[in-house]
Amino acid sequence: MLKYAFKRIVQGLITVWFIATATFFAMHAVPGDPLSGDKALSDKTRANLEAKYGLDKPLMTQYGIYLANIAKGDFGISFTQENRKVNDIIREHFPVSATLGILAILFAGAGGILWGALTALYRNRLPDTIIMFLVILGISVPSFVVAAIGQLSLVNINDLAGVSLLPIGGWGTVWHMIVPSMVLGLGTMAYLTRLMRSSMLEIISSDFVRTAKAKGVPPTQIFTRHQLRNAILPVITVLGPSIAGITTGGFVVEIIFAIPGLGRYFVQAVQQLDYTVIMGTTVFFGAFLVFMVILVDIIYGYVDPRVRLE
Amino acid sequence: MSEPILSVSDLAVEFDTYGGTVQAVRGVSFDVAPGKTLAIVGESGCGKSVTVQSIMGLIPIPPGRITAGTAMMNGVNIIGRKTVNGEDIRGGQIGMIFQDPMTSLNPTMNIGNQIAETLIVHRGYSKRKAFNRAIELLDLTKIPEPEKRAKQYPFEFSGGMLQRAMIAMAIACEPQVLIADEPTTALDVTIQAQILDLLADLQRETNMAIILITHDLGVVARMADEVLVMYAGQMVEHGGVDDIFYNSGHPYTMGLRAAMPTNQPGIDARLTPIDGSPPDLFHPPAGCGYCARCPHAMQICVDNPPPTYTLGERHETRCWLHHPDNNTQVEGINKAVGSSP
Ligand SMILES: Nc1ncnc2c1ncn2[C@@H]1O[C@H](COP(=O)(O)OP(=O)(O)O)[C@@H](O)[C@H]1O
Ligand code: SF4
Ligand SMILES: [Mg+2]
Repeated sequence: MLKYAFKRIVQGLITVWFIATATFFAMHAVPGDPLSGDKALSDKTRANLEAKYGLDKPLMTQYGIYLANIAKGDFGISFTQENRKVNDIIREHFPVSATLGILAILFAGAGGILWGALTALYRNRLPDTIIMFLVILGISVPSFVVAAIGQLSLVNINDLAGVSLLPIGGWGTVWHMIVPSMVLGLGTMAYLTRLMRSSMLEIISSDFVRTAKAKGVPPTQIFTRHQLRNAILPVITVLGPSIAGITTGGFVVEIIFAIPGLGRYFVQAVQQLDYTVIMGTTVFFGAFLVFMVILVDIIYGYVDPRVRLE
Repeated sequence: MSEPILSVSDLAVEFDTYGGTVQAVRGVSFDVAPGKTLAIVGESGCGKSVTVQSIMGLIPIPPGRITAGTAMMNGVNIIGRKTVNGEDIRGGQIGMIFQDPMTSLNPTMNIGNQIAETLIVHRGYSKRKAFNRAIELLDLTKIPEPEKRAKQYPFEFSGGMLQRAMIAMAIACEPQVLIADEPTTALDVTIQAQILDLLADLQRETNMAIILITHDLGVVARMADEVLVMYAGQMVEHGGVDDIFYNSGHPYTMGLRAAMPTNQPGIDARLTPIDGSPPDLFHPPAGCGYCARCPHAMQICVDNPPPTYTLGERHETRCWLHHPDNNTQVEGINKAVGSSP
């Protein structure tokens, strides 16, 4: 298991290097640079600035410097925000995005497993039909629509109640987190529900569940010890990629709910071609995702002995 | 024959499917005594598994439905889901093993815990005590290095070892009846013999009754005291193992025997498969279920279901050939001495 974890971490580092390299060259391939903003610069100012930021050096030299800095954990200074370190931007705003994302994935995972198991147990009966209809909706409606509808309903509910039950935007308390994380996790939850349902259906009619019944194991124990544990495996496998999906969706949700996460900075930075901020946030997010996927794989190994012991 | 430990009478089971209602079992009766082995034989699809699964409460309801019948054990009818759980029968007084050991064990639970689970449920053992007993049971079923094996998972076992572990699980609570549904069909021939020997040894030690489902008459000859021959959801012949092999009273039993390989020199070694296939259980025939394939079928066989004729002590069959008014003598079939329709 330890060897496996180590192998995965090395693979992860290579992935992060790949992300960094791809982002660097893709970014430089885009026409324009951070200095070609709204203000026209005189040639002299431009040359000075280029020298200051190292943009006058050959591309490969820039790449080398940039990699060396990343290895030290230094993402440099923002081009567009006066003297602001990218590390500071990340430190300040990443925890917000991460909290939102983790809450969303917990919500999606718990909901998906619960609803999936429930629909399988009630297959082809009313609860199954209703939930599966909602699932199709959840999968097909894009997250910015869900976010907008979520916020609108919140406004209406607060209106009806006459008091502000839950804040409609911003960040700070647990109450701020509830609706955005639900909105963000909804699509994934729908997807996981469907996956869990089919996996559970397969397990319900499996031979080993029949064996457990023949042993006289009570139904609740069959559910927890035999069905759930095995049915969950495919869900865990897709949790890793789901985290990536949730992160991207998070940018939109952050903007709609006015959440001071990293997403907003990222979108802004792309618009302004703020090289260092784009690089810093992308690489950091990439590393975070890779780490989460490894974590999920290790959890999977813990749940499934066939992986753990190989 | 001593008092039976389990007696099943008139069991009937149906399944609702898209194509209609399948009458999988249509009135089956048998009993089995302590220390004895009853073999249930018949072509695949004739209702062997459904019969024993109904006793164990393993029929999925719906689509299944037990429409009639009782299974009496120690004075209680164990048919019906609630009683089976409530009376601690399943896994406690009756153990069961299945055809495919590779898929019949939980892939994410170690072998020791799977055996221990039975003891925790039925005997109220602590986890530790149950696990230690599981190790002893693995030893009893002749699994080498039981301490190490108990901590392993099914994917680390071979098919034969898994079936031994299944047996250990089924006998954990010292059941009075062990049901084995084609326990060796999925295994290599040499492993098959070992598993059968193990079952026979355990039976000698514990005096449990065994219900052994098989479609292999070689297994029957080796293991059984009595045989129930099923066809299209019904009993067609029931008798001692010698009655079935040397004194059979039903054309279908004769057909099965002709289709069985023999190693006796001098006997014509050609195998004669039974032509045709079993009837459609959506609309079972009005008369004898076997009449479409039977070489001796008569008009009455098509129109009326044959009654049960007694051929000897604990030997009976359902075939019109045994009607007292029937004067045609069929070669190989011994006519009934008395009839009891
Ligand atoms: N869950 C089920 N749903 C519908 N039909 C079933 C089900 N289980 C068994 N049957 C039907 O019952 C009949 C007897 O099956 P079974 O007892 O498994 O035969 P076998 O003698 O080979 O063990 C078959 O025709 C089968 O199609
Ligand atoms: S009842 Fe008739 S058809 Fe059926 S087995 Fe006997 S002879 Fe054949
Ligand atoms: Mg079967």
